[in-house]
Amino acid sequence: MSDVFGRTPMRATRRGLIGFTVAGGGALALGACSDDGDGEVNVDEQAKGAMDDFKADTQFTATEPFTLSLLWTEWPDLPITDSWQFFTEIEKRTNVKFEVTTIPFSDAVEKRSLLISAGDAPSVIPLVYTGEENSFVSSGAVLPMSDYVEHMPNFQKYVEEWDLGGMIDNLKQADGKYYMLPGLQEVSVPVFTLVIRKDVFETVAGGIPETWDELREALVKIKAEYPNSKPLADGFEGQSMLNYAAHAFGAQAGWGFGTGMMDDGSGTLQYTAASAGYKEMVEYFRGLVADGLVDTDSFTAANDGEGTVGEKFAQELVFAASGSSGTAIDFAVGLDATVGAGNYEVLQIAPPGGPAGQICEPRNFWNGFMLNSELADSEYFLATLQFLDWLYYSPDARELVRWGVLDETYTKDADGKITLNPDFRLDAYKLNPEGTTDIQKDLGWSNSVFADSTESRALKESYNTPTFVEYIDSVLANRTPRDPNPPAPLEEAELEQASLLATPIKDTVDTNTLKFILGERDIAEWDDYVAELEGQGLQQYVDLINGARERFKENS
Amino acid sequence: MVTEVIAKNQASPTRTRRVTQDSRGTRVFGAFNTVFLLLLCAGMLYPFITVLAQSFSSPGAIKAGQVSFWPVGFNLDTYGAVMQNETFWRNYGNTVLYTVVGTAIAMTLTTTYAFVLSKKHLKGRKVLIGIAVFTMFFNGGLVPNYVLISSLGMKNTLWAIVLPGAISVFNLLVMKSFFESLPRDIEEAAQIDGLGWYGIFGRIVLPLSKAVIATMVLFYSVAFWNDWFAAFLYLDKSELFPVTLFLRNLIAGASTSTSEGAAAAGTTTELLSANIESVTMILTVIPILCVYPFVQRYFVSGVMLGSVKG
Repeated sequence: MSDVFGRTPMRATRRGLIGFTVAGGGALALGACSDDGDGEVNVDEQAKGAMDDFKADTQFTATEPFTLSLLWTEWPDLPITDSWQFFTEIEKRTNVKFEVTTIPFSDAVEKRSLLISAGDAPSVIPLVYTGEENSFVSSGAVLPMSDYVEHMPNFQKYVEEWDLGGMIDNLKQADGKYYMLPGLQEVSVPVFTLVIRKDVFETVAGGIPETWDELREALVKIKAEYPNSKPLADGFEGQSMLNYAAHAFGAQAGWGFGTGMMDDGSGTLQYTAASAGYKEMVEYFRGLVADGLVDTDSFTAANDGEGTVGEKFAQELVFAASGSSGTAIDFAVGLDATVGAGNYEVLQIAPPGGPAGQICEPRNFWNGFMLNSELADSEYFLATLQFLDWLYYSPDARELVRWGVLDETYTKDADGKITLNPDFRLDAYKLNPEGTTDIQKDLGWSNSVFADSTESRALKESYNTPTFVEYIDSVLANRTPRDPNPPAPLEEAELEQASLLATPIKDTVDTNTLKFILGERDIAEWDDYVAELEGQGLQQYVDLINGARERFKENS
Repeated sequence: MVTEVIAKNQASPTRTRRVTQDSRGTRVFGAFNTVFLLLLCAGMLYPFITVLAQSFSSPGAIKAGQVSFWPVGFNLDTYGAVMQNETFWRNYGNTVLYTVVGTAIAMTLTTTYAFVLSKKHLKGRKVLIGIAVFTMFFNGGLVPNYVLISSLGMKNTLWAIVLPGAISVFNLLVMKSFFESLPRDIEEAAQIDGLGWYGIFGRIVLPLSKAVIATMVLFYSVAFWNDWFAAFLYLDKSELFPVTLFLRNLIAGASTSTSEGAAAAGTTTELLSANIESVTMILTVIPILCVYPFVQRYFVSGVMLGSVKG
């Protein structure tokens, strides 16, 4: 830090440096800093401000006002303001005042790790995706939420109503507890899928593909019509496409690779990247690449989100690419400039099916929260649990966080249809552009920290575009979410061992998956590749995970 | 004598020819050199020009990849929008404050420290140098540093930004060498005339060191201006962020591939107009870019003077 010259070359690797240092030094620091984590919570005694009769679907109002510290990720286009109605209204209704620690979105994950590692994190840590809590569990920096869900009636109600109990089991660590509470989604719809030029698929390729084979046929036709194009792309280094494609082939890949272990149908777990399904998927993509149907640059070039792919999409060099509803809007902006508004149609389609059936990834959880273990000392502990249960899981609160104040910013008719009042607009979803006050930018509603977390189907459909609602319908009508893998939580020492084994194996998998797909390695060498994985200790890893699986079965 | 002159004259055409030949080679070399340097210059300017062009272009044209040298779909609205953004200006003001205060502190500490180190008769000089140099190779690590700053109560204050980076050892050593290169006689003369050490430092040494001081001011101010990392670590309130952190946050969507959650979060930033990034970049680099030409004349001489004797 003291060398001004030293800063310049270091900056490029700082992200790596942070990751490395936090990961390496974190455990040490945690030992020193998180001494509050062992404190036993006596919920009945730490009940200041809590409601005696708090139950599901009721308004939470603390009997005594209190302040709750909160980690707030700031999006560049949504600078936080203390005067947001979001804060004042929540305080008015619940008697809870947020005290915010702001972290920039650009490095939110790193800063969060740093704050937790240094014992300096706020009480509530939102925007946590499943799996992200793992690194904080062994140090005791976060609270085991499973110990306290009995005080969270809304959470329990919707886990049961939306049948998510099985997936909650998957959150469990080796001690049988889970340390984060996810946002619950009533309907399982993949966030990322294929975004296509609907008009081109319909006129040139004869319709929207339902399977990967149909997609291939369509791409061949498009390629014939647009010879310069490489119609299929993925702006996320292939990670997104492999993720949603893998399920259709009965495998796991890309972002969804996880531990690499998946159900083999007999109750034990197998390593997906050595499975027949994975091989079939790789062969499929190899075929596409060999025929010039894939923009291979997008698989190998450093990821830039939708940047380069978006440009190619606009220049009609790509006609199908991975993305979310936001990506679809983004592609449309580029196409407006090249093809012209009204001359094209962009559509998010249900992930195509494959040999494993019309299957897509299970997506019932979205971001949720962890609690700093220092909260265990708070006399407002129970009230905090009740408040968060209300905020994250009660339908009224979800509607409030998304739309603002009923009859002020929006109205709801007898059928439950929500309409923004004419004075208000929501630019993020292009709603009511003529309104004067943006409920997101000016009032803080629909913010990304809380709004996307838990959503009923009706709420999700209330603000999304009709094409996205169509997408939801098509997924729900024609796709089945894959069953979650059976849980196999590892103990602390095993975690370390698993990480040592899995990291080099995963590197081999990543490198060779790409090589096979790009044709740099002949698929005939598949068995050699599996032998290489075994040489790196694959069997030992599989045994370790299956051992944990057995233990979990016995214990539960 | 005469023959010598004649011989000289006879020889001279040859020499002239050789000179001409040389100069042709030199010219060819010069031409290649010019072309090469121009290409190099163009290569370095190209990204900057693109960003400049993008800042005046319409978001649609940028997303369609149509902008390279000239703005497409010329618009100034984004400049207007960014300039009306309160957070941007507040953060801009913070950057100016951090840079000015940081550079002032850094210059005071570096010049005084370097002056002391340049006195060879000083007892314990090597230890003092060792302490400084040690920090070039070792530091406490990220988390301990964070805990230290935090326990010193400097979190969310100006001091967390300006103090940890106050002495750059590289700059310190360059400055020390420079001071060592000043003639001792001047100091002795000043001593005889009755000046103490502070007088010598303030009235003799500093006025003689304008070149190196200008260079160091440039180094420090550029470093403070560009720095986002200290702010990222030690500041928790967006109203305290420097503009570089604001900018970094803006262009963050580019690095969101690590997980689906991050990528999904990133897509919401994509809604942000593409040329806001470019406009912010331009507005951020302009001031520091303007300082350069004025300080550059000291730049080379300042560093070189220090290094000659080092």
